[in-house]
Formats: sequence, C-alpha cells, structure tokens
Amino acid sequence: MSDLEPVVGIDLGTTNSVVATVRDGVPRVIPNRSGQLLTPSVVAVAKNGKKLVGALAKRQAITNAENTVFAAKRLIGRRWGSKEVEDARRVLPYELAAGPEGHDVRVVLGGRTHPVAEISAMVLSELKADAEAWFGRPVRRAVITVPAYFNDGQRQATKDAGKIAGLEVLRIINEPTSAALAYGFGKQVEKKVVVFDLGGGTFDVSILDIGKSVYDVVAVGGDTYLGGEDFDRRIMDWLTFAFAKENGGVDLRQDKMALQRLRDAAEKAKCELSGSPNASIHLPFLVSAGQGKGALHLEKQLGREKLDELTKDLVDRTIAVSEKTLKDAGVRPNQVGEVILVGGMSRMPRVQKAVKDFFGKEPHRGVHPEEVVALGAAIQAHALTAPAAKGQEVLLLDVTPQNLGILVVGGYFQTVIPRNTTVPTSQTHLFTTVQDNQTSVRIAVLQGQSERAVENELLGEFILDGIRPARRGEVSIEVTFEISADGIVGVAARDVDTGQQQSITVTATSGLTEDELRRILDEQLDDLLEKKATAGEWEERRARATAALAEIEALVPAVHEALERTRFGKDAVQKAEGVVSRVRAALDARDVGALDREAESLDRTLQLFKGLAAQAKPPRER
Amino acid sequence: MAGVAELIDRGVKLYTAGRIREAREAFQRAVDLDPSNEKARAYLLHIRDAVPAVTPFPGTLPPAPAAARPSSAALPPIQPAAMQPPPTAASRGADRPNPAGVAALAAAVELAAQEDAHGEFAPSPWEDGPAGAEIQLEATGGLDLQAVAEKSDLRPLVPEGAPPPAAPERPKSDVDVWLSAAKELFALGDFTGSLELIEKILQVDPDHGEARDYLRHNEATLVSMYESKIAPLTRTPRLAIKPEEVMWLNLDHRAGFLLAQIDGTVDYETLFALSGLPRLDTARILANLIAEGVITS
Repeated sequence: MSDLEPVVGIDLGTTNSVVATVRDGVPRVIPNRSGQLLTPSVVAVAKNGKKLVGALAKRQAITNAENTVFAAKRLIGRRWGSKEVEDARRVLPYELAAGPEGHDVRVVLGGRTHPVAEISAMVLSELKADAEAWFGRPVRRAVITVPAYFNDGQRQATKDAGKIAGLEVLRIINEPTSAALAYGFGKQVEKKVVVFDLGGGTFDVSILDIGKSVYDVVAVGGDTYLGGEDFDRRIMDWLTFAFAKENGGVDLRQDKMALQRLRDAAEKAKCELSGSPNASIHLPFLVSAGQGKGALHLEKQLGREKLDELTKDLVDRTIAVSEKTLKDAGVRPNQVGEVILVGGMSRMPRVQKAVKDFFGKEPHRGVHPEEVVALGAAIQAHALTAPAAKGQEVLLLDVTPQNLGILVVGGYFQTVIPRNTTVPTSQTHLFTTVQDNQTSVRIAVLQGQSERAVENELLGEFILDGIRPARRGEVSIEVTFEISADGIVGVAARDVDTGQQQSITVTATSGLTEDELRRILDEQLDDLLEKKATAGEWEERRARATAALAEIEALVPAVHEALERTRFGKDAVQKAEGVVSRVRAALDARDVGALDREAESLDRTLQLFKGLAAQAKPPRER
Repeated sequence: MAGVAELIDRGVKLYTAGRIREAREAFQRAVDLDPSNEKARAYLLHIRDAVPAVTPFPGTLPPAPAAARPSSAALPPIQPAAMQPPPTAASRGADRPNPAGVAALAAAVELAAQEDAHGEFAPSPWEDGPAGAEIQLEATGGLDLQAVAEKSDLRPLVPEGAPPPAAPERPKSDVDVWLSAAKELFALGDFTGSLELIEKILQVDPDHGEARDYLRHNEATLVSMYESKIAPLTRTPRLAIKPEEVMWLNLDHRAGFLLAQIDGTVDYETLFALSGLPRLDTARILANLIAEGVITS
C-alpha cells in the first residue's frame, strides 16, 4: 500500500452512491462494509429511533416513509419555493420546511429539522467509514462529483456536506467529465463522446470533446424525473394488478409491508432481467387475506419481453432527450465517436439496443456503468494528490453549468458568460444608462437559464456610482465577468469615461449559514466525545462484570456441594445461571445497556453463591 | 420436591388442559405444603366451584360416572369463567366481592378432602352401584330414564305443552379458555406458560384484539422475555430451512415480511429497526421463528 494518505473519489448519486480510489495505479471501487459496491443514498430514523444509512434505510423506506429521506440530491442547494423544490414536494413522502431565512430547504427527519447538506453528509460519512474500514486508516480528502447542470449554490452545498462529513473536498467535478475520465484512463483518446447516464432517479446526457487529455463538456441535457425507479414502478403496477385479479381484488398498495417487499422484488427482478431472459418473483406470506384466512403468496414470472413492453415509453423518452441535446449542441449522432453508458439502468438490454439504434454504433462496454463516475473521481483525486508521470497529467476543463449575467432594465436577464463556457474564462460586455443624468447603476449578478431575471439565482449585487452625468445612452459602462478555475466569480463594472470602478467577488452559498455549519460540526464533536466517554464506561463495567463472573465461577463447586447438602431451591440456582449466561452474552456483544440491566442480578447472584458456599462448609469449619 | 409456586403453576396448566382431577391434586398439595397460602387455597376453592359448572347444558345428558370414562380427555369442557384470578390485595376491595372469604377457604379445603372420595363430580348413584351397572330399577320401581339413555340411543321425549327449552348457553371457545388461562399464569409469574397460550391464540387468530391488548399491557416484561429467547441481539440470523420450504410454514404476513428481511446480513437489533412493527411484535415473531427452527443464528 502507498504511504501517501489515501484519497477517494465519491459519486454522490440521487439514488446510489459509490466510493473509489486508485491503488497501485489501478482505479477500483471500494466495497462497503456489507460487501456491496453501491450504497443507497438513503437516510432514515427507524421507528425504534435507530439511525439507518444506505441499504438498511432503503429496506424500510416504504414502511417508514415519513422518516426516510431519499433523493436529497434533488433538494441540495435549492431555494425554497423554487420549481424544483415544489416538484419534489409533490412526490416526496417526507416533510420539507423553509430554512431560517426562508431561502433554502430543510428536511424534517426524526422530529428534527436538518439542512439538506447535513443529510447528504450522513451518506458521505457512511462512505468515508467504508473507505476507512477498507484502508484501515483515516480518510480525510475526497473529490466529489455533481451533475453538470448543478449551479454554484448546489456545488457549494455539496462541499459543505463533505465538510460536515469530515472530508476536505479537493474538487467538485461534473459527473459526465468523471465518467469520460474513467473511460479515457490510460488511453490516448481524441474524439467526441456522449455520456448517457440513466441512473436510479435521473437521466442525464452530456456531450464531451476529449482531446489530448483535455475533457471539455460541450453540452448537457436530461430529465430529472426519469430513472430506474420509474422502471421499478411499472413492474410493481403490473404485479399489483395481476395479484388483485387473481385474489379477488386484494390491493397490495394498501399494505405498506407488502408494498415494500414488492418494490424490493421488482428491483431485483429488473436487475436479473439484464442478465437472463426470465425472472421469478416469489413472495410468500405477502399480505393478509382477511380475518382468519391466513396470508396470500405472490408467484409470478417476468420475461424480458414483458418488461420491454411495460417500459417502452420510458426508453423512448431517453432517446428523445438525447436527440434534443445533440440537436441543441449542433452535433449529429454519426459525429459521436463513442457512447459511454452510465448508471445501473443502462444495463437493460432494451436501453442498450435503443442507444445503438439511435447513435448507429454499439455503446462502450469497457467500464461498469454503476462504477464509472466514482472511478473517474478517484482518478482525479489521485491526479490532484500524487505527482503524475510526465505525459500522464490530466487536465480537466469544466464548464459553467448555467448562463451568468446581470439584471437589465425591464427585469430581464442579460447573459455575459453563456453556459458550457470552459472555465477559467473572462468576458466583457458594454452597457449604458437608461435615464438622463443617471449617476449610479445597480449591478445584480445572476445565474440561470431564464430570460426573466426573477427566475434566476441571484449571486450578489453592488452599486457603481460616480458616473459622469450625461443623457441616457451616452455613458458606456463596461461589465467584466471572470471565473477562476475554482469557480469563483468576479464581476467588475467600470465607467469607461471616468474610469470609476466597482467590483464584487461572488462566493456561492449553500443556504447553510456559518453558525449552522459550526453548530453541526460541534454536535459531531460532542457525539465523538460521547462515544469516547461510552468507551470508558464500557471498560469500567466490563472489568466489574468480569471480576464478578470469575468470583462466581470459583464458587461453583462449593455451591453444588451445598445443593446436595441443603434443601435450597434449585430454581434460584437455575435463575442465577441464566443471569451468568446473559452477562456473558452482553460482554460478547459489547452491549452496555444489557450489562447495565443485568448488573443488579449479577450482584445478587454473587451474594447468593457466597451464601450457599458458606453453607457447604461443615459447621466446625465456619 | 416441587415448591408451592410450582404446584400452583402446574395446577393452572392442568386445569387449562382440562385435567381437573390432577389440577385439584396439585392445588391440594400446595395447600398441604403451605396451609396459609391464599392463592393455593383460592384455587382449590375455585376448582371446587368449577365442578357444578360442568353441569350439562340443557338438553344434554349428565356426565357418565368416572368409572365409565376411559380417560380425562373425554371430560366435558370446563367453563373457564368459573376460574377467577387469585385474590390480590386490590381485588379484595369492596368493588369486587370475593366469595372466597377466609371461612369459605377453610370450607373449600374441607370439601376438597371429601371430594377425594367421590372423584371430580358430585356424588352419583352410579358410584354407589356396581361399576358398569345395567339399567336398574329405582327403589320406587320407576325406570331411571337417564340411565337408559346413557346405555342406549333412547332420548326422553319432551312432554307436549312443555315450555320450549332455553337456548343453550354459548360454549366458550378454546381461544377464550386460553386467554383466561394466560392471565392466570401471568399472575402466577409463569410468563412462559402465559405466552405459550397467547401464542396459541394468535396462531388461530392473528388479530385477536384482547390477546394483542394483553401483550401490549405487559409489554416490558414480555419484550424482555422474548428477547431472552433471541439474545444476544447482535447476532445475525439466517434461514435454517431451504427457501422453497418457507411456503409450507404457517405464517401471517407480518412474519412473512420479517422473514423476508432475514438475508444473513442484518443482525437482530437491526431487524427491530427494519421491521416497522412494534418491538413486542417483532420480538415475538423472531422468537417464534427460532423456536420453530425456521431461523437460526
């Protein structure tokens, strides 16, 4: 193993997350502590108060819907009241609330309100812990991927999530860039590449130009409500209706436990059908048939053809979105040199066939679709921390995810730097005054895709005054936007005649205030200290219980002798043996609570044994 | 030698199994061992009281003499309502008159001693006569119609104009008997025995309201009992039978759900979190699955 401190790449997905690293020059995915490569991006507080993250949280997502948070990525860095948040509120079963200043979104989980970044941090913490278990040493640094269309606020919120999870986020990179990086790893690639990313909850299609180790995202498009879960839902609906038909109208959707099992089975069958033509769905004792009638079973075979029929329109939508994205970017399908499939859903044979038919070529199958984004992030993390051999440097050219510009008269938005512009960049536009003798102008910096300023994200504003008094339209004001490689936006406005100048540096905000961030980090520190204190208490209790057990064991021969000589009830001794066995189990399990519960009984047992042992001695020996 | 509590426990179990004679013997031995034990004496009294309760329903025949019955399994059903919980400090209050006063208790013990001579039932002329007696004429020369009916398919006719027989009292179901007995056993501290009976009820009727209420009210005790059968909770259970054999089990949908979560990767404590069911239900289902050899850890 390398002596360098380990660094990881994290694909923080809407549905699943993956962590990867580069070891001995080879990028590889780190399995989680359950041995799985994918960790569901789901966080829950179970009905018994236990916090669950990942696969366990997902397994109770339907039965405990109001306290299970999934798809937090749809909300991170979003404004309360925005269209995206309103859309999410309509479909999410958990409660959302406005942040303290009414701008950002909060999630209600287990009776507490959390910033979305804190929820994402729980997933990141889980991945960090998995990586630490795999490396056997702390992991402190990571590269995290985000969709190419994420704005600066969403990127900053993702960074905050990393910080809360105890990670220094070396860089935030775009998912398609990351996928292309993994695809191009160790190769000399110079071509136009399409990344077709059909994940669990979203579909993204990106066009990249790769040339001489330069990865340039040319265009992005997609559908934020199209993914593997839609395919699962089609299977669930089909099963539900078939079951109702065969069982006198019993509706599985009315039973949360049945629905949970149905969803798990539908997803499993869907995955199986990517590798085999048929899948068996077998759910014994699925739902109650009514008073005293026992439980009903579900037995069904699902064929690949049936799945294709059930999901045809969903597959067609992916192609329609791809077509539009290519058209917008002025790229014809036959100009695409390679199509990289990303996301588990792209394993479906029907999807692959549709991609092949549209692009006129077989999609690339060299990298696992679920892993490719994390692997690219790991490659980038490695490149940022390990000295690269000559000729192996990787230069990532990220692009601006959305248009950047300013507010102009009439409430309109004037773009200064269009989306998909490679950063770093600098661009200048000339503006003028709208009133006679106007001596100041307000420069409101915005980011977004709408022509109406109010529908875009306000990044910051400033006033440029001291303008030469003149008739309207006679004054020239030069506005310059500069974006650094780190994504920091600088905006300057200058009166060309007088040289009077004002500027602003825009740092993206996630909605999480500094105070909140500090509070969350403090709470985590408290938790850590509590765990340490618990460890101390455990040692103390373990020592006490072990000593009592040793003493009891030493008294056992004398107790047996006493039982033979006296009429003492064997019941009490049996109970004592039960206590001893429970204490041993608690010690094995390191269960402080169980040990506490048995402490008093253990003490009584010791006293009982001492008393019995005393009776075993002949009177003259006493 | 069995202790007083053990004898009382045994007596209650025998009683619920319909083995009245043995139950009474157990209570009697408990009273012999500890004459001041109110619980034992009360049970003895109640079991004596229970005897008239086996009086046949209208339209049925009186029980055959003890000698004619091949085994106690053929006993008519016991009326569980006749068996009340043992008197407690609270239940001895004015709001719940207790017929088993001190004097009554003394009488009960005495009566029980007398009953030894007569078996479990009130003295019958059959017991005085030769066992397996044929139809006998009474001293007055009349025919014992009941005896005739006993020995043949003949049934007495209802005289014309006689009032219609009252509707027979609805016999208590097994579930009612079990529930009543479960309460008795719980009061005696026999949680395992009590739970076994509740389990029987829930197997027959998983949604039995009173059985579920009972479980809820005694939750803390019962949860720790069930958990002691599962412990330690950090262990990871797995299926102990072949997956295709699951279909042949007798489970309800809750158990089916929980069983589906057992995949060899989650420990018991996590199953409690995953189940979405109350802790008691989860613990009960898991303990049953272990007891039935469906899962192991």
